[in-house]
Amino acid sequence: MTDVTDVTAAGAHVKAPAGGPPRAPARGGRPGHISGRPLWLMAPGAALLLLVVVVPLALAVWIGLVDLDQFTLRDWLGAPFIGFANYLEALQTGGLLHSIWVSTAFSVLTTVVIAPIGILAALTVHDPFRGRAIVRSVYLIPYVIPSFVTAVVWRLILQPDGALNSMLGVVGVEGGNWLIGPMAFWSLVLVDTWAAWAFVYLMTLAGLQTIPQDVYEAAAVDGTNWWQKLRFVVLPQLRGPLTLALLLSTLHHFNNFTLPFVLFGSPAPTEVNVLPLNIYTTSFQTFRFGLGAAMSILALVVLVIPAILYLRAVRLESGTGEER
Amino acid sequence: MVRRSRLAVRIATAVALATALLATAACGGSSDPGGTTSGAGRTLHVAEVVAGQFPEEQRVWQQRIAEKFKAATGADLVFETMASAADEQTKIQTSVVSSTGPDVFVVGTTLVPVAYSTGAFEVLTDEDWAAVGGRERFFAPQLAMSGPDAQNQIGVPMSMRPFGLVYNTEMFAQAGIAGPPRTWDEFVATARALNRPDQGVYGAALDYSDGFDPWKYIWTFALQSGGRLVSDDLRTSELDSPAVQDAVAQYFGLVTEHGIASPDSISWKAPQALAAFANGQAGMLAMVTPTAVPALKGSAVDGKYAFAPMPTVPFGQTAVPAGGIAAGTIVSGNDMAITQYSDNKHLALRYIELVTGEEEQAHYHEVFGDIPANQAAAATLAKDDPQVQAFIDAEETATPTSFTGAWGDVQIGLTNVVTQSLSGLANRTYDPAAVARLLAEADATVQRSLDRQRPN
Repeated sequence: MTDVTDVTAAGAHVKAPAGGPPRAPARGGRPGHISGRPLWLMAPGAALLLLVVVVPLALAVWIGLVDLDQFTLRDWLGAPFIGFANYLEALQTGGLLHSIWVSTAFSVLTTVVIAPIGILAALTVHDPFRGRAIVRSVYLIPYVIPSFVTAVVWRLILQPDGALNSMLGVVGVEGGNWLIGPMAFWSLVLVDTWAAWAFVYLMTLAGLQTIPQDVYEAAAVDGTNWWQKLRFVVLPQLRGPLTLALLLSTLHHFNNFTLPFVLFGSPAPTEVNVLPLNIYTTSFQTFRFGLGAAMSILALVVLVIPAILYLRAVRLESGTGEER
Repeated sequence: MVRRSRLAVRIATAVALATALLATAACGGSSDPGGTTSGAGRTLHVAEVVAGQFPEEQRVWQQRIAEKFKAATGADLVFETMASAADEQTKIQTSVVSSTGPDVFVVGTTLVPVAYSTGAFEVLTDEDWAAVGGRERFFAPQLAMSGPDAQNQIGVPMSMRPFGLVYNTEMFAQAGIAGPPRTWDEFVATARALNRPDQGVYGAALDYSDGFDPWKYIWTFALQSGGRLVSDDLRTSELDSPAVQDAVAQYFGLVTEHGIASPDSISWKAPQALAAFANGQAGMLAMVTPTAVPALKGSAVDGKYAFAPMPTVPFGQTAVPAGGIAAGTIVSGNDMAITQYSDNKHLALRYIELVTGEEEQAHYHEVFGDIPANQAAAATLAKDDPQVQAFIDAEETATPTSFTGAWGDVQIGLTNVVTQSLSGLANRTYDPAAVARLLAEADATVQRSLDRQRPN
């Protein structure tokens, strides 16, 4: 197809397919418009973004530089400026690095565990069978239950005289204290795995439904077995949505507050003193808002790493996604 | 982008409450200035924590008070019921920052020093006290937590919850034990005499995983033996002093050395310990308040229990040693404090006068079990109810906790020491070196808070 070029009255060059109607002229010269796009329509969203992201973030940065606590809370705008003292205290005495380590280990480990569970669950309900809708609904139960309820129920289950130890006792296994000491970490992983695997399942199922049927047919013609089909056909096709799911899942686990808070209370055992719990205790229980803000900013720096990966995954970091 | 927005918001939430608060709709009283006698057209807002055991009764009580308040003042009364003490603490923080919110907060006595340190609550004058019935209306020990001194009081006692000891009279009789222990050595000896581990019965019920009781035990043991958690001049933390270290060891020793409680008590909170006593699985339960009475009615021990003050003589002693304090209980209960930003101070005083009156205090006791802070009401009730008298007796041993804004750090620091020791305690052991390190960390944190104190 050959393009022709029109010259508009404004002097803009517009390409139009031969024989077709000319496109609307570009109006990049008008305020609020770039390349003919009415960017001013984004103003409400931008204002909202400014209000709910930029302003709180700027406040967090500022509060991290002042001594805001119970003694200065009333006149919080006049809290003494103390530079990076809060940051130093967070790094030296606040247990921040330990909490970052616990949160990272917990989030990565949980994601690693739920990934195969979610994938396998999605594969089991991908092909039609009688009752598939019911099974799909059942799979979603952990995901739709509020995190608070999940934590309360599991707290009861994991008590020394709870259901888990009772069940273990039936088969002759001695239970233990699941909510204190080193076992607390594994309990947290267990409960979060139960609550979160359905997210990977959902994303995987959505990805499976985008794989064209002819790809499966081609694989069948090539004589692949189920493993080869999974390894060389399905998983490569799922790489995009699965990567996104795992990144989002990791971030979600890292920021999970409700589950450890309800399961273990505050102060939590060292083994499960995840970053959100630490920041909550520092800020809201001991009134050290300045210190808590500094910890939050440092945590933000840590989270930037997976956040960048996330942005790359959805191809938004430089608009490349729009060009493809 | 949306995810990034949510992420940033979550990270910033802990510190950016101020922004949200500024947007929070004012729910304080009406904007009418002044404090006229007639409250017609005005609304008083009172914040309090939900009564966990009696949410429906609390709603009915609130309605009753609102009607009486309306009849007396012409003003409306609206209660804001918080889901937990932590929620109320957050509400106080947001209200202080935004200078808007409830006119009156009902807060626990140990939170009053922190509230005072914010400088956001009204310091009551003599005229204010007269308006609520006078200081003499209330038990004197309760007033010790109203402020740092008599000239700087912000809290008016609403209810009294002195901690006491409840014991199983039937088990005591069967074991030939004459009465409740007066010293902690007697407490241990009594518990050992009642111990029947093979039957699942123990001498005492403990709650090492509770968020409050553990630090109260440590506070009790330390003060009785002459130690302090914070120096009397409120300038120095003493959390890593030998007296506090000994107090922690004595508290842990109840299970590690004496074995007087169920191994499950390591993971128990207060309600579970109370349930163990109510089921007849424990002979004694310390750190119990009058609110336990409704839970014991109709239980396996109904009619077989009695209350007594806590032991006041420390381990290894037959009397309180020199420098020691016969501290049987912290000054415990609820206080009411009026916010400075409130333009309904007059109505707030009228409300406080209403709910601390003899009639309403007696009714409050009937509904919730708390001992009246009103002396006359308590005395009247005690004539017919020995349980009330037992707690009034316990109140005589009430000792105020240190009135400092750093007290929250003290509580959390000591609770953390216990929390981090739980896995060892489950095996009836603990690491003294680890305890010493945790106490030193808590001491440093409290000291930093004490150093940051500023006069209001």
